[in-house]
Amino acid sequence: MTPSRKERQGRLASRAVQATFLIVLIVLWYLATTRWRVSPLLLPNPVTVLHNFWDILRTGEFIGDLRVTLTELAAAFAIAATSGVTVGYLISRSQYRIRVFEPLFAGIYSIPIILFLPLYVLFFGLGPASKIALGATISFFPIALNTIAGFGYVDKTFVVAARSMGASDYQLFRHVLMPAALPIILSGMRIGFTVALLSIIGSETIASLAGLGHRIVHLAEGMEIARMFAYIVFVVFIAMILNTCVSVLEARGKRF
Amino acid sequence: MALRRAMRRPWVARLAVIALLFCLWEIAARWFVDPMFLSPPSRVFMSLPAVFETRGVPAALRLTFWELAVAFALSVVIGLVVGLAVGLQPFARKSFMPIILLLYGTPQVTILPLFILYFGIGPASKIAFGVSHGFFPIIVVIVAGVQNIKPILLTSARSMGASRWLVLRHVIFPHMIPSFFAGMRLGMTGVLLGVLLAELYVSTAGIGHFTTLFTQNFDPTRLLGLISVLAAMAIVLNEIVRRAEVHFGRWHAD
Amino acid sequence: MTAGTVAIRIRGVSHQFGEEGDARHVRALRDTSLDITRGELLCLIGPSGCGKSTLLNVVGGLMAPTTGTVEVFDQKVAGPMPRDIAFVFQENALFPWNTVFENVNLGMVFQGVPRAEREARAHRSLEAVGLKDFAQHYPGQLSGGMRQRAALARALSLETGILLMDEPFGALDEQTRMILGEDLSVLLSRTDKTIVFVTHSLGEATFLADRVAVFSARPGTIKQIIHVDEPHPRKPDFVTSPKFTAIRNELYGLLHDEIRKTIADTGVAAAGPAR
Repeated sequence: MTPSRKERQGRLASRAVQATFLIVLIVLWYLATTRWRVSPLLLPNPVTVLHNFWDILRTGEFIGDLRVTLTELAAAFAIAATSGVTVGYLISRSQYRIRVFEPLFAGIYSIPIILFLPLYVLFFGLGPASKIALGATISFFPIALNTIAGFGYVDKTFVVAARSMGASDYQLFRHVLMPAALPIILSGMRIGFTVALLSIIGSETIASLAGLGHRIVHLAEGMEIARMFAYIVFVVFIAMILNTCVSVLEARGKRF
Repeated sequence: MALRRAMRRPWVARLAVIALLFCLWEIAARWFVDPMFLSPPSRVFMSLPAVFETRGVPAALRLTFWELAVAFALSVVIGLVVGLAVGLQPFARKSFMPIILLLYGTPQVTILPLFILYFGIGPASKIAFGVSHGFFPIIVVIVAGVQNIKPILLTSARSMGASRWLVLRHVIFPHMIPSFFAGMRLGMTGVLLGVLLAELYVSTAGIGHFTTLFTQNFDPTRLLGLISVLAAMAIVLNEIVRRAEVHFGRWHAD
Repeated sequence: MTAGTVAIRIRGVSHQFGEEGDARHVRALRDTSLDITRGELLCLIGPSGCGKSTLLNVVGGLMAPTTGTVEVFDQKVAGPMPRDIAFVFQENALFPWNTVFENVNLGMVFQGVPRAEREARAHRSLEAVGLKDFAQHYPGQLSGGMRQRAALARALSLETGILLMDEPFGALDEQTRMILGEDLSVLLSRTDKTIVFVTHSLGEATFLADRVAVFSARPGTIKQIIHVDEPHPRKPDFVTSPKFTAIRNELYGLLHDEIRKTIADTGVAAAGPAR
């Protein structure tokens, strides 16, 4: 429905407030570092940060760390997705199994699994393996839980109707269960992906030798605050791109 | 077989699964894995007293619990105030919610080093990081809750002559209670994540100090012991808010 | 308290939603004038979207009309008048977190009834609608019919001179409607309230009303007013009497063309943005 004039005015006003907010923030930032003598070790000059940012992009300095992080992410998500969907599907096949395992998984997922990072580091070392293992562990649960929900709670009416028309097990799976469960499973995958990304950056920050999270820590320890800010912006940027891609894929997959 | 029949109850089966996992862990740790990397649950359990006797551990646990409590309280207060301020005013909501959601969606773990830089390596940074994870879901849930009020309820109150204050007190506030408790549950998850992440990153007197210590000394027994205690703490805290939500957060027989 | 005085004076009220040229511009009501006598039950009936609910909201002060005025007990209506007008809506407007009793009580809190009187009034009105035994129940635990009784109790306890009811039984099944209609008639015979009742149902209008105002299609205005000359409380067998059938048929005749016109114009029989 096309919005009324008043609504359009309202929306414009909101946008104006948001833009003003952003501008004021940046202006304050600039003033703080140039006029008000805030230590560059706490708050770097935004222009310096910008220079560092372009420098990082230009020299391609980010590539090594980005590759490490993305590889870890891809591996962790791949493991979590395949195992999560498989396990989720197997559990969803029986009400009993659902009632046994679903609360178990939900319970485990509710505690901050990042707590086990030291264990994983002890076991797998400081290299990518520990990040992948932890990322896969954390990412497994939302995917498995959503797969259980997706397959397990398909409207009985559909199943009954298909069976009454003579559908075989395979046909039932392909033409009824899969399409019915897909939106929920895709949601679970999106959540799993986001969670994997967060856990990997987090574990790189805490205990790692490489990767984007580690790079930020390294710069912080070296007191190169401006460059650290630049990397933070970079990582946030990458995260946004990844999350947008995943959301788009999810929406695509959900379109019936 | 009585076992078969007992297994029919899901909770029994669940316990059996957990027991099975513990057995596998025990077997793997005893005979298959280098004791430098993994410790069997029996030994972990036996050494729990030793963990508590390690100098500084009980104090560290108390400190961490205190950090969690303060962070949670602050998150709730800030979340409630901001949530209501933004939620009740449609213009404020339209202007600020997109900003809030944007901030909520960014990976905050990236700026963990910044928090340490600004708040130091003591408890303040842990609390601050916990609050920054905890108050977002509360704000989002409360704003959603306010938006959800059926307009007919507000119209009805207005038609009966209710002043703005009376509407706030008797219509909006009671309506918000389930949302508030749901928000608190999510907030607790966020606070746990934030405080523990910060602790694991750098800690001089909190439990993060000891996880690093035990890891560096290749002491999986005590590490597992400590982590189990923390996991138990997390489970208990989560359960408390969850129960509170179930008890207070429903309108009877909705 | 003389019967025959005018309780509500509606003069030249018309209303439109949105501006001319907007995609959502709707002329809901067109130049409506009407006098409603004290103590009468007037039904507003008409096709969907003809502005009956809009008129009700304007009379009750919930909405300011684009043109025209409304006077209630010789006072110009400029906003809600909780001491004189009480509403019963179609949608469930009971607060789900309060018991039935608390809901009725809260209405009086809003209106400003002193605490000492509230309990007695609440009990009286709950008894009057037959919900005495359900006072401690929550709306979620009650059937639709009982919820509307509770809503009515809340409105009654405000002891206003005027009751505005917007399709209060619209969401209920036919059998519940019949019973509630009969009970309403009995209730009203005992009071001298002025009631304006919006409905879609011809039978309901004929059974309940002293006068029925038939609306034309959108933009609505009063096409004709039918009198129903039968004392309250009306017995169930009134429904099968020839007088009833005659009136109902007359209403049907008046409405049928308007309904057809509405469907032809909008392509849909369901309600638009305003009814």
